[in-house]
Amino acid sequence: MTTEEKMEEFKGANLYSNVHKIDLPEFYTSGHRTCQGCESALVMRDFIKAAGPRTVVTGATGCMYVANTSYMTTPWVVPWMHTQLGGGGSSAVGMAAGLRALMRKGKIPKENINVINFSGDLGGGDMGIGGVSMALQTDYNLLVIMYDNESAANTDIQATNMTPWGAQTTFSPTGTKERIMHKRWKKNVAAMLAVGHPNCKYVATACATFPPMDYMNKVKKALSIGGPTFIHTLDPCPKGWDYHPRYSGDLGQLAVKTGVFPLYEIVRGEVRYTYDAAAKKRVPVREYLEKQGRFSHFKEEDYDFFQQRVDEMWEEWEVPGIAPIRGALKLRK
Amino acid sequence: MTTVEAPLKNVDVDEEPIKRFEVNYRGIFQKTLAYRITKDLVYIAHSDGKTAFSNGRYSDDPQRNGVPCANFAFFSDGLSEEELEAIASAKMDIDRADIVAVLDDTMVKGLEPWGHYGIRPINEKVVPGGTLLVISRRPPEDLVQFLEKKPFTYNLAILPGEASFAGLWYYRDDNTDVRVLGAVARISPEIISLDKAIAYVRKTYKNDEKVKALEDAYNSTKLSVVSANDGIVWPHRKPVLPAWNEFDEGIVVKAAPREFKMGPRGLGRNLDYKRGTSKTQRPVVRFDICTKCTLCWYECPDECFDPTPDGLYDVNYEYCTGCGRCAEVCPVNECIVMVDELNFKNDDSPWESFKKDPQSYTKMIEEKKGKGRMMPSHVTGKGESMSEVSKPVPFKVERGN
Repeated sequence: MTTEEKMEEFKGANLYSNVHKIDLPEFYTSGHRTCQGCESALVMRDFIKAAGPRTVVTGATGCMYVANTSYMTTPWVVPWMHTQLGGGGSSAVGMAAGLRALMRKGKIPKENINVINFSGDLGGGDMGIGGVSMALQTDYNLLVIMYDNESAANTDIQATNMTPWGAQTTFSPTGTKERIMHKRWKKNVAAMLAVGHPNCKYVATACATFPPMDYMNKVKKALSIGGPTFIHTLDPCPKGWDYHPRYSGDLGQLAVKTGVFPLYEIVRGEVRYTYDAAAKKRVPVREYLEKQGRFSHFKEEDYDFFQQRVDEMWEEWEVPGIAPIRGALKLRK
Repeated sequence: MTTVEAPLKNVDVDEEPIKRFEVNYRGIFQKTLAYRITKDLVYIAHSDGKTAFSNGRYSDDPQRNGVPCANFAFFSDGLSEEELEAIASAKMDIDRADIVAVLDDTMVKGLEPWGHYGIRPINEKVVPGGTLLVISRRPPEDLVQFLEKKPFTYNLAILPGEASFAGLWYYRDDNTDVRVLGAVARISPEIISLDKAIAYVRKTYKNDEKVKALEDAYNSTKLSVVSANDGIVWPHRKPVLPAWNEFDEGIVVKAAPREFKMGPRGLGRNLDYKRGTSKTQRPVVRFDICTKCTLCWYECPDECFDPTPDGLYDVNYEYCTGCGRCAEVCPVNECIVMVDELNFKNDDSPWESFKKDPQSYTKMIEEKKGKGRMMPSHVTGKGESMSEVSKPVPFKVERGN
């Protein structure tokens, strides 16, 4: 598809064509207790900017709940509601159902009100995944955004299923006998949800700042296509990943360019890579890993193992970077 | 202000025979460091037969990078552990301290650790005759110009050095922990004595370099006295907390104001919690060479850039956390540079002062920037790279008129 065709497909979504066209007003504004250089704060700012002011937001417990309600103050301009750690999906369904009922009964005017839930990687991908799965099976218009900083960052960095192999967390500090304490590979949430939910027309992965506008446009597409949709963002976390806040943008870019985090969207079952790490020459993962203190205990063999797993993902998987199923094509032949 | 050999004694008659120690530090960056300092102080006091314990300020958790935090340590000569704990523990915050230590000198500009706290002076808790201990390269006069006036005299101790920053997993062991112990021994032998501190450090760390660093700090700590009414009238007001019956039904938090117009401070912002005291450096913008690419505004996670009618982006320093993402993403050489926060006295709009007089604004910021440029390493604490700019980028006349 050419760029023009892509713009045509989502004509109603009013996609941003360049950075100068991005709306100036903020609906998630200054004055939040996030870390310096917090990427997740940008994820909040950007999705609500893309969605516009006629939006209701629900947020599961996590960094972006606690940091944004410091002692009864908030940077949110739009209506916003907190829900339980595992309640992200259910709260979105409840909100959408409530709005539909109020409109049907004529209690509020009929209009398009976006319902967006944000959940962290623990809230959205681990303990809340049942609720998210249920939400994606409904016929309500809602969007679930999983902002993934690869740990339970609010409670000082505990491991989740989204923590990458080998990373230090308070659950997996490096030791003198065992160097690598976190031995699970990162869970593949976006692809899993895309495969398993026939009602869901749009699933995407994104990084807030790279490529520019990509994430905001994905939010616009998800909201315009209708029905339940899901976006997984990778948010470099200066606190838990242990790097200087100045480099959040760099780290996100490197995660994409090394192929560690594949960027794609699955529109009505069709996969589109929004940054094709397989076609472009992948940057060695070492450049991404050695810039983070959580991997400061890595030795040569650890970098090699990490590289090998990422190579496998791009070279051997049936759908590179997305579905780790091998051999189906061979069987058919 | 006068330089003195021995610190002034605490003349305040304390009804409780307790010494209180507070250490202010930058969240996450100095978390491990602050923990080590209060822990070591308690162990040393124990080895001297005193009762002591330490704790962290409850409301600081979860800590965020750069947000000011505090740990406390309490010491007593006669009380039992239970009695000491009953008096000093389980408090959200303490209201006075004999020694207030500051691990990063940019915190003398004020502290705002959480919402509805207001920007409070760093010397707020210092008792008459108490001590404010700052790790700094600056002379005491430089620091006093940021401190709130007190009606009494107190000590200002300066431990010469740079703020030691590290990350959550990577700890930079540059002996700042034992150096603070040395400074405390010098300021208040009643809390820890030098001999006991040396014995403890020798036994615990088994490292002569650490012992030497402690002794050096003991000798090099500079003491001076801040007289009553030295300092400034505090420019920030303390917020009035809403009473229990002023809250809305349920747990309802008032939204931030829905406002937007072009120009400085045109965006509605969270009025009850600003973030300015998180920063150690601020981004300084050369508006004359800016190409209006929007990237600083686009990548700012704290929404502090205000679009102006002429297509530039003003910075709201009240809300800027000094993360440096704008300086990193800016494609123009020398257009956005991070400069030490203590070089600045106010948070006024830089765009307005540029518009008023472009040439003198540019001259002023080039003076503040100086020649040295520091680039932090990716992993905090693993060293910085320093470079020098031979001469400033020439002033671009077209934009200036």
